[in-house]
Amino acid sequence: MDSLRQEKVQKFEEFVDRRLKPDLVHAIAERDKIFDQQKIFSDLRKNIENLEKNSVTSLRTLVNLGSEVYMQAEVPDTQRIFVDVGLGFHVEFTWSEALKFISLRKEKLERQIEEYTRLIASIKAQIKLVCEGIRELLQIPEEKTVEGRVF
Amino acid sequence: MGKSEVKGTVTSLSSMFPAEEVQKAAKMVEEKLSEKQNEMNQLKEFIANNTSLINLVQKLPDELHHDIMVPFGKAAFFPGRLIHTNEFLVLLGESYYTERTAKQTVEILKRRGKSLESKVDALKAVMQDLKAEASFFDSTASEAAEGLVEIREYEEDNSTERASQSGSLELETPSVAEADNKMGASEDDEYARIMSRLEELEKEELAAEDNEENLEDEDEDANAVESDGNEDELTKAAEGDGDEDELTKAAFHRKKDECYSYLDHGQRYSESQSRKQLQQFNGKEPIEEMSNKYKHQDLTKQFASTGLTEEPVTKGEISHGQIIQQDTQTLSPSINAFAPFEKKSVQTSKSEFDSSKAFTGSIVEHTQNLDKSSVGTNMTSLQSSGSQPWKPVSRFKMQRK
Repeated sequence: MDSLRQEKVQKFEEFVDRRLKPDLVHAIAERDKIFDQQKIFSDLRKNIENLEKNSVTSLRTLVNLGSEVYMQAEVPDTQRIFVDVGLGFHVEFTWSEALKFISLRKEKLERQIEEYTRLIASIKAQIKLVCEGIRELLQIPEEKTVEGRVF
Repeated sequence: MGKSEVKGTVTSLSSMFPAEEVQKAAKMVEEKLSEKQNEMNQLKEFIANNTSLINLVQKLPDELHHDIMVPFGKAAFFPGRLIHTNEFLVLLGESYYTERTAKQTVEILKRRGKSLESKVDALKAVMQDLKAEASFFDSTASEAAEGLVEIREYEEDNSTERASQSGSLELETPSVAEADNKMGASEDDEYARIMSRLEELEKEELAAEDNEENLEDEDEDANAVESDGNEDELTKAAEGDGDEDELTKAAFHRKKDECYSYLDHGQRYSESQSRKQLQQFNGKEPIEEMSNKYKHQDLTKQFASTGLTEEPVTKGEISHGQIIQQDTQTLSPSINAFAPFEKKSVQTSKSEFDSSKAFTGSIVEHTQNLDKSSVGTNMTSLQSSGSQPWKPVSRFKMQRK
């Protein structure tokens, strides 16, 4: 009986280690990515709002050519902005359109984050379940022996 | 055949390098190798980026302005133009920037490329070492799996002497050479000591050359040097007859012949070996041979001389025989065997007998042994352990014949 229990315990542990934990790690990584994207878009939104507030028409920036070598660049007209809408497409927007798009994008991202959070929670719950099962398997024989001694 | 007490160890490679550990080591080395490979790939990427940037920087000053899409954050672009196409802001590190022209920027980038390439070369060397390690581990793992066995042989003084007598060819193993090499340094010191001691003895012989009266001493000496059949002759002659001089002379001659014949034997056997093994002692060999012959004569004279205690004579005899063995086999064991004898300069006869026991088998005459039943008893009385050496002696005798 003990050997069987031992085997079961081993199986549970293996399941936890091999499948559940990596799944958890994976899900957390995906969620972090989406967090980053969310941050990007919120930064963009802030910048555009800034531009609108200050009525900035032209812009001078330093463009990174690669390996941290910068070159001066001028933006004569800031009214048009090209935003990445996914799948390699950039759409030309005006400021207000851009802001609308950004808010839409934000919603989508939030939904994705929620999904991932649920997935992560379920994986964590599964891990806890398996651990409880292992604990039960290990405790029951102990309890029995304890009872035996009491008798 | 004398007992070849060549102590040896037979260790299977698998015990020295357990298969599992070897595999683990091989795995570790492989992991390290893969890590280094990743680093190498990264460095190569950097180098490629660097070269493409150099090309770009060289092309940009061709135009006054360049129409580009200026990035605004990570997800948005602005249409714009590149201006001041000859001014580059280069990051030197630690938040230090510098404005440079295109040419200067190219130079900076080229220097960066050189440092990267040197890093790549260093990494390549490290990877090669790791690969060699991995191949070694793999080979040892396969060998251990096959069950290869490593055999090491160590020489002992006694065993080498007997072995040299019985068949010097047998001991033609690298272990012998190792033993020689190991004992080389100590041998030199001991050899010097031995030579000095022998020179002293020679002087004594020359001084006592005229004194050939103490036959008892000779007898005792002969008894002491039981390994030599001449002992028996001498004792027999001494006890039986009064013509000590004649008998001793005959004994000397016989002994000489035996010694020399043994020398020839040894030389025949060991000619090939001595070249290899006694390379260290090239200079010493001729000296030894000369000293051997010289001392042989001196020792025989010693036999006849008076006032010489047993110890030095036996030592001389033993040293002589041992030196012969040196020629035949290896120098180290005999020298080592001889050295302790010197140290026992003032010891009981039993110690001599032990040393003579070590020296057994050099020269024996069956007839003498048989006839010497009476003498043998005397000798045995003198030599507590005398009986034992006879056997190996006889065995050797059988072999020789």
